[in-house]
Amino acid sequence: MKSEIVIGLEIHVQLKTQTKLFCSCPTEAVEPNTAICPTCLGHPGSKPVMNAKALEYGAKLALSLGCKIAPTVVFSRKTYFYPDLAKNYQITQYEVPLGSNGQIILDNKKVVHIQRAHLEEDPGALIHEAGGCLIDYNRSGIPLVEVVTAPDMESPAEAREFMKKVLNVLGYLGIFDQNTCVIKADANVSIKEKGYTRVEIKNITGFKEIERALNYEVQRQKQQDVKRETRGWDADKGITYHMRSKEQEEDYGYITETDLPLFEISQDWIRKIQATIPELAEQRAIRWTKDWKIDEDDANIIAADLDVATLFEEIARKTDPILTSRWTRREVLRLLNDKKKTLKETEFEAKTLTELFKLLQEKKITDRIGQRIIEQLADKKFSPNAYVTEQKLEVMADEGALEKICKEVIAKNEKAVTDYKAGEEKSLMFLIGQVMKQTKGTAAPNVVKEVLKSLLK
Amino acid sequence: MIKKFVKEALAGKINLVEHTEKALEEAEKINKEYHYITAFADAVNRAKELQEQVKNGTAKGKLFGVLISVKDSICVKDTETTASSAILKGYKPVFNATVIQKCLDEGAIILGKTVMDEFGFGGFSTNVGKGYQKPLNPYDKKRSTGGSSGGAAGLTKKASFPHIALGESTGGSIVNPASFCGVVGICPTYGRVSRYGLIDYGNSLDKVGTLALNTEDAALLLEVISGRDSHDSTTADQPVHNYSETPGAISGLRIGIVKEAYAEGIDNNVRKHVLEAVYKLEQKGARRIEISLPIGMNYGVPTYFTLAPAEASTNLAKYCGIRYGANEQLTGNFNEYFSRVRNNNFGEEAKRRLLLGTFARQAGYRDAFYTKAAKVRTKIIQEYAQAFKQVDVIITPTVAIQAPTFDEVKKLTPLQNFMIDLLTVSPNLAGLPHMTIPVAEANGLPVGMMIIGPQFGEQKIIQVARAHEK
Repeated sequence: MKSEIVIGLEIHVQLKTQTKLFCSCPTEAVEPNTAICPTCLGHPGSKPVMNAKALEYGAKLALSLGCKIAPTVVFSRKTYFYPDLAKNYQITQYEVPLGSNGQIILDNKKVVHIQRAHLEEDPGALIHEAGGCLIDYNRSGIPLVEVVTAPDMESPAEAREFMKKVLNVLGYLGIFDQNTCVIKADANVSIKEKGYTRVEIKNITGFKEIERALNYEVQRQKQQDVKRETRGWDADKGITYHMRSKEQEEDYGYITETDLPLFEISQDWIRKIQATIPELAEQRAIRWTKDWKIDEDDANIIAADLDVATLFEEIARKTDPILTSRWTRREVLRLLNDKKKTLKETEFEAKTLTELFKLLQEKKITDRIGQRIIEQLADKKFSPNAYVTEQKLEVMADEGALEKICKEVIAKNEKAVTDYKAGEEKSLMFLIGQVMKQTKGTAAPNVVKEVLKSLLK
Repeated sequence: MIKKFVKEALAGKINLVEHTEKALEEAEKINKEYHYITAFADAVNRAKELQEQVKNGTAKGKLFGVLISVKDSICVKDTETTASSAILKGYKPVFNATVIQKCLDEGAIILGKTVMDEFGFGGFSTNVGKGYQKPLNPYDKKRSTGGSSGGAAGLTKKASFPHIALGESTGGSIVNPASFCGVVGICPTYGRVSRYGLIDYGNSLDKVGTLALNTEDAALLLEVISGRDSHDSTTADQPVHNYSETPGAISGLRIGIVKEAYAEGIDNNVRKHVLEAVYKLEQKGARRIEISLPIGMNYGVPTYFTLAPAEASTNLAKYCGIRYGANEQLTGNFNEYFSRVRNNNFGEEAKRRLLLGTFARQAGYRDAFYTKAAKVRTKIIQEYAQAFKQVDVIITPTVAIQAPTFDEVKKLTPLQNFMIDLLTVSPNLAGLPHMTIPVAEANGLPVGMMIIGPQFGEQKIIQVARAHEK
């Protein structure tokens, strides 16, 4: 039975190559119209020359999405007139895409089929300014991979998850730079209530926007008459708007791009590319849960970030993997999130974190002390072992010593003691907290609890 | 002829500056009368540079001091290059085509740009762009030079100074005007010569070639411009021979005579003189074998006039008044602006072919036209490949008629216009090397004979031409 909502995506991913798809212009430029040449400007007489790296990256992505690679790579011209399109045709792939028949499996085990993954060139960019429109051709010719899914997604959240998973694969492959490369999507969406009349939404940037745009569109379709049309996404206003009706659709008049030769793809080449693909997030997480009995949620979250995952693996091999996974998820990832930084932008390293986690594992320090140290490790490299010794932060588990401090605390906090005795459990926590304070967090909380309990009997 | 001149120039026996100035003067004079040149390059300064090289002993090159004219569809840096179209008026390329760079590396002097049918769209050079004058036949000013490399062919015939021309052929645009103007024209195998810097017409068909007064000179320029180019992925990594040194020995050579190319519709004078030339070759030891090429001869023209306009309609899409060339007051939305620039600046034939070509690749028609034509093209290639198992070269008349008068051209329907390419489109569709040589004059007008060779068989066709010239 068909679901309430049907969503299919076309995702465009910029590849992190040094040079453009068909010329040797750099892919990164700051000033408008500085990374341009006769080829990406479409000057008369210029010809495209294939960037082998882009073909390799494209194949890497296609293979990672489980696609089959075509035996021959052919390019076509997609003709439409638009001011940012230097030749008024885009060199893309039409009949035979580089990759086809792949899939991504969502967390709820739903399979999203990938119909095709093909290479194409990005057009330039229009910059609308007060009183006019400027064109920047720096983007013209940047390599893109277009990934087209079957209409397999059933909610905006699934579309978001799909896009996030694609981004994750891209990050693992090292062919996409989150700071400089752009990921965009066109989505087609229809709902059961309106007889699945299909609407296409163009130009949605990023995975957060896709969910926003689709949520808006689904609500709109529920409330309005739905026609077959193409709509745009206005992220500022948070709305979709009519662009053109189906009858106004352009005919792209595809023909073969004969300026580029046919590229024969050998099984050997595919094997070589396949060998460069690292173990991807999903496989990693599965391995961790199987071999190390890590919580599935923790494993998935850690694996999603390639750098964090690599760090985690290195530490987990030398310490208790479960403890490491918890600390990585709850502390390392939390700190990255709070600081809005990537791992590389912090001072975290395997060596210091391994030392710290070992101290925790051997119960030489309390969790509280551990948290305090890990926060500092984000900003500064130092040895937790030396720090703990120097600052006398070893755990206090000596009952005699703790009893003395507990007695002091009981003497100073009469009200809490009375409350506890009257059955207020919270007051015991307060008293433990006071002991912790006295000991600068070094007291073993479980020992303190036992001592306090026996003293207050 | 050119080789002798180069030898003398290298030896310092010719004052290149004076020589060039004199040649320019003559070219300008010819141009006033015959309209062959659309823009002059800075030839005198280049001659001064070369003269310096003679002086300090660094002079070198196969084309040292030779004036080369360039069909207007080939980019010459800083020299107006428009493919004789108003839509590129004022456009000065920022780079040299590979063939131009190769000529310069061999010491050539670029003379200027020669007029053509707009973007190559024609067989009579009467479809020059808006604001351009059509070139006149050097034998008779009331007649067409042929096209589309009409300016190149006319100037080659008319110039008395040492000169070779760079031309371009998509469906016969080198051999057709060469034949009408009584000169030699060579169109190489597709992929033999770089197209980098050649303004596209039909990019799977376009080939840069040469025109000269004799085979040796045309072959000399061809050997300079041939070879693999990293800027053009369709160039082949095939060895380049010294084509100009090809001997004219043809003993035992098998010449294929295409039955259909001497049938009805071929002018009697043309048929007679070409067959006589073939007979002459037989006398020199060649063997004549009758062959038939029914697919190429029957379906070549429709196949060509489907594929070439389809490609052209994408290749010319870039001309829209934004980045270079003609532009106008920016009013209306971009679609209206593009349409206005294109409507005001493309000529009638350009518009016809762009519309035809756009139609042939639209969804719903694409399979019936573009895709089918591509399949027929493959059949034509196979047909030739079969034929070349039996023969070494194929000989046909170059064009079915001699140069017509402008009045006669005017009366032709578009379809009759297309038929002028009957004999030349098939070797062009198959990407085969072919050349024309003048074999006779009849009624005061030249007759051209076309020699077609197998892929990368440039030496074979040049060999036959040399044998005929002997």
